[in-house]
Amino acid sequence: MKPKKSKMGVRASSISVSTSEALVVHLTIGLGLALCFSVAHNVHFINLTSHPSQVLGLIWAFQCPTVILLYSRYRKDPERCSYWKAVGRGVLGLPAGAVVNALGAIALGAPVGIQYLPKTINWSLMMSLFTIVPAASVFGSSWTDWQRIFACTKPIDPVDFMICLPAHGVVVGAWFGAWPVPLDWERPWQEWPICVSYGAIAGYLVSLVASFGFILVRQHVKGD
Amino acid sequence: MGKGIWVHWVMMLLHVVAILIFTRGFLLTRTELPNYSKCDDVSQSPCFFEDQDHKPHNHSHPNQKVCWSKPAIDRLVVIVFDALRFDFVAPSTFFQEKKPWMNKLQLIQQLAATNASSARIFKAIADPPTTSLQRLKGLTTGGLPTFIDVGNSFGAPAIVEDNLLHQLAQNGKRVVMMGDDTWTQLFPNHFDKSFPYPSFNVRDLDTVDNGCIDHLLPFLHREDWDVLIAHFLGVDHAGHIFGVDSGQMIEKLEQYNTVLQNVVEALESQSAPGGLHENTLLLVMGDHGQTVNGDHGGGTAEEVETSMFALSFKNLPSSIPAEFDTSFCGLDLDNRNICISSIQQLDFAVTISALLGIPFPFGSIGRVNPQLYALGAGTWNFEDSVGNCQNQPKLDEWMRNYVNVLCTNSWQVKRYIDIYSASSVIGFSHEDLLHIGNIYAKAEERWSHTTKKLLLHKKESCNELLPALKRQIEEYSAFLASVAELARSKWTEFNLKLMGAGLGIMVVSLIIHFLAIKKVKEQYGFSFTSSGDSGISLGLIFACFVGVIRACSFLSNSFILEEGKVACFLLATTGFVKLRSSVMKKKMISEAFVFLLLVTICRFTIQVGLSKHASSSEFVSAYPLWMLGITSLWNFVAEVLPVLALILLAFLLHKAITRSSPEGIWKYIIMGTHLSYILIAMHWAVESNLLNLAWVLKDVGSNCIPRLVYAIGLGQLLLLAINQLFIKQKSLEGSKILSAKAVAMFSVWSSTVIILLGKQGPFIALVFIIGGYCIMRLDNVELDGKDGGSWNLMLDPVPVTQWSLFAVCLFFCTGHWCAFDGLRYGAAFTGFDEFIVVPQAILLTMDTYGFSLILPILGLPFLVACRGQTEKGKQPILGRLSLVYMIYGLIVATSVTATILCVTIHRRHLMVWGLFAPKFVFDVAGLILTDSFICLASLYYFSRVEDHALYDPIK
Repeated sequence: MKPKKSKMGVRASSISVSTSEALVVHLTIGLGLALCFSVAHNVHFINLTSHPSQVLGLIWAFQCPTVILLYSRYRKDPERCSYWKAVGRGVLGLPAGAVVNALGAIALGAPVGIQYLPKTINWSLMMSLFTIVPAASVFGSSWTDWQRIFACTKPIDPVDFMICLPAHGVVVGAWFGAWPVPLDWERPWQEWPICVSYGAIAGYLVSLVASFGFILVRQHVKGD
Repeated sequence: MGKGIWVHWVMMLLHVVAILIFTRGFLLTRTELPNYSKCDDVSQSPCFFEDQDHKPHNHSHPNQKVCWSKPAIDRLVVIVFDALRFDFVAPSTFFQEKKPWMNKLQLIQQLAATNASSARIFKAIADPPTTSLQRLKGLTTGGLPTFIDVGNSFGAPAIVEDNLLHQLAQNGKRVVMMGDDTWTQLFPNHFDKSFPYPSFNVRDLDTVDNGCIDHLLPFLHREDWDVLIAHFLGVDHAGHIFGVDSGQMIEKLEQYNTVLQNVVEALESQSAPGGLHENTLLLVMGDHGQTVNGDHGGGTAEEVETSMFALSFKNLPSSIPAEFDTSFCGLDLDNRNICISSIQQLDFAVTISALLGIPFPFGSIGRVNPQLYALGAGTWNFEDSVGNCQNQPKLDEWMRNYVNVLCTNSWQVKRYIDIYSASSVIGFSHEDLLHIGNIYAKAEERWSHTTKKLLLHKKESCNELLPALKRQIEEYSAFLASVAELARSKWTEFNLKLMGAGLGIMVVSLIIHFLAIKKVKEQYGFSFTSSGDSGISLGLIFACFVGVIRACSFLSNSFILEEGKVACFLLATTGFVKLRSSVMKKKMISEAFVFLLLVTICRFTIQVGLSKHASSSEFVSAYPLWMLGITSLWNFVAEVLPVLALILLAFLLHKAITRSSPEGIWKYIIMGTHLSYILIAMHWAVESNLLNLAWVLKDVGSNCIPRLVYAIGLGQLLLLAINQLFIKQKSLEGSKILSAKAVAMFSVWSSTVIILLGKQGPFIALVFIIGGYCIMRLDNVELDGKDGGSWNLMLDPVPVTQWSLFAVCLFFCTGHWCAFDGLRYGAAFTGFDEFIVVPQAILLTMDTYGFSLILPILGLPFLVACRGQTEKGKQPILGRLSLVYMIYGLIVATSVTATILCVTIHRRHLMVWGLFAPKFVFDVAGLILTDSFICLASLYYFSRVEDHALYDPIK
């Protein structure tokens, strides 16, 4: 499973991904999420509804190394940029992305207050891990790539798909996840950020499948 | 005239028709009459001959003047358990299944079983809506619910109709109340003593109840009251929070059983002849039922069936003839026989009035309930009535009294129906009136010709008298029953056909609206996509998606409650989408960020407003954010900042007008607005405590400045109208003249709206201007130098959607919400001290809809005028403006249609009177105002403009 070089001129410098490799990455992340939940449930005897802050913290802390280490392998410009530099970019991207996510959530109506602070921090770190961190590891400070992925939604490479689709999936899932919050069902999971997190995770899982599907189809078309 | 203006008028017409038809079917429109019953009214009735005849015999109340009926009881203890289900009281053997919450009020069952003649359980049937406030109203007035009480004073829910408590107070009965503070809201001045406890905290099961218990027992040993009302809320709250099948509910019921035990013991110990409670009646009752989940408000059997228990402390023989006994009997758990009667809540007020001997409430349409009335019979002096019926003296006496009371009862109901149909706009139909009139006439005839004579000539034998009395009672009962039935069908039932028709017309109007937009769009050659074909753009899909999601959100009461937040959420979403496209095009990123920041500010303002709404509706300070800071520094800033904002606003307006059109009438308009702003600043300076300026206006009065501002606004409006009608405009560039007009219009209205809104006004105006500017600028994000031709003909619905969402957000930002207590009544009195209907209504409308409707609609041309143009060819500005207005109208109409649909679906919902109906009224009023303002704006902006300046089609 050695990385083969893309033939395209401009994008030649990024490390490309084969289908099976993409599958491994997707599976690792997906299973990692499942593992987080089972650890929370079986070892710590907590779940997202009862201890949102702890479980979200567990998820991002547990997934952080996986995501950064996995995505850093597909960094752009691998000749000039070492693996560890990409890892460092990812680590830096985590808090920066968290700030962006938290501000976005507050603009959309997330509650602000001292009792929500740990929840919001952990939630936005988790969101950041799934949205910003992969892109930070892969693209670094290449503004045109960021713009291409997040503003124009024009993924080209398999790596682009692996970054673009899950990131959008998480955000859209979280957006839809916010809708049950005002309902008067008085269920504990309606609290911020529980159902938003559920929505985000659901969106993330769906988009993982979708991104793998896209890569598969593209590979298939290429093969023909 | 621009093409497509007719659409606005047609739409307005359609909307008005649809809303009128729907409203006739939906709102329960009973007019409240201001009439009150008086003691001496009864002399007009044919019933009261007995007064002179019987008075010498009546020794039981020698000092008391006999009013409408002979008093049967002296004192009354009413214990109200909120949301008392019927099966809380009745024995479980009466139901198919035994549930854990049954048989908890053991005392009641025991009393009902052991002394069947003096204690009785009733199944009380309430009329929906089964909310406490409406039920208390129904119980005390004996009438059916109204939604809009025309005679209602601003804001306060106090009952103005004639009611039981008014009659009690008028006739010298001292009333003591403890418990739910709804009573003191409804009857602010009627209680001799009251111990109200707050009822809004549903999670608190005990405060109200403990307060009641603390006061109830001591009062039972005091003699300084005649009627005691204790309203317990624990069962209602336990139901709301934990449901009926819960430990808390059972605890509450067991607690109540203990309370009742104490009460009955206390009363019984003093019920000996001559005792304090010799002639006391104890009533334990619910105001409505509840579902197993603890909800109430609707009309299901569980919700309307509550119970009532009446206990008299006299040992009474069974005194009611079997014909009038509607009770059904069964065995309880201990195989004792228990009988349960039934009573309509409607009958409560009149029965209690009859028992206490006070005039019946004027608007009551109930019937004196025979069983409950019989429980008071113990206080009559049977020895006195030495009739010929020695074998059945009590039955005879009861029948005489009852027929007499029913006569008065029927006369009173007939009087009410006659006066009501004479004075109300929507009265009863002629046939209905004729029908009940006939029944009454028949009963009346029998009364005057037969029964009266029989009663007067006491020598007649029982055999003749009793059947005659029975027939008379039957006839009166038939009359009262048919009146109640008629009133129910007219006042409490929704007319589904009318509602469906209204909704149908509304939907048709939406379709016509849509088709009209399509037609006008094709006329001018606009398209939604940048490529110029007739396809569907992403922007269109997104705008539709936002519109549909907002409309769907109205289907749930929670989303209506949080409507401001939902609108903000959607607005922020559109902001993010715009940010995305501005990043894509690499320009106007700062505008996008400013817009998001603004939405965030709006969001916090709305939140503060909502929390204030939840806690109390008192306005301590005009500007909500600064309620938090009480220090003097904050006060200082709070006084000065609005003035600074005002100055900034004036500067912005000045700049805007000089940029678009530096000369002509516009200059004078702006000068007038500046003058108004200075006056407003002066007004605030005078009102504030910082500068002691109160002396300045001591002579003139503080009302003169606001009135001057209104006058300047009117003058400016007049000037604009004259200019519009008589002065030919100079041929300027189309977009410039349009923006000049819009700025002028904005400035004319802004001064009045700002002074009405108080100190938050200039901030909201600034937010409005900045937000509008951002929306306008962001509209141009897609403008590329390359394909100018198709850009000029591209129509993006997203900015219009944003504009309308922004307007909704501003409605909530300005401290309003869709409920009648969300109206800022204080604003209506800016510049006026006393209440005058027309100006106050106009001011209140302007305050409520100023920033959410009037200014956004009048400001819509900015969206068109400031749209960037490419060099190649001009765009048909008026065509675009017309389309923008149509799209705006469509967006508003869609959400109102969703509200109407939702109100139709939820017409039996718990919250229908508390939430859905007010929302409906606000939305409908808003829609009609929107339509009329769109029509006015189209007249203003479209007419008498040099056609060639605006119509230049491309090429």
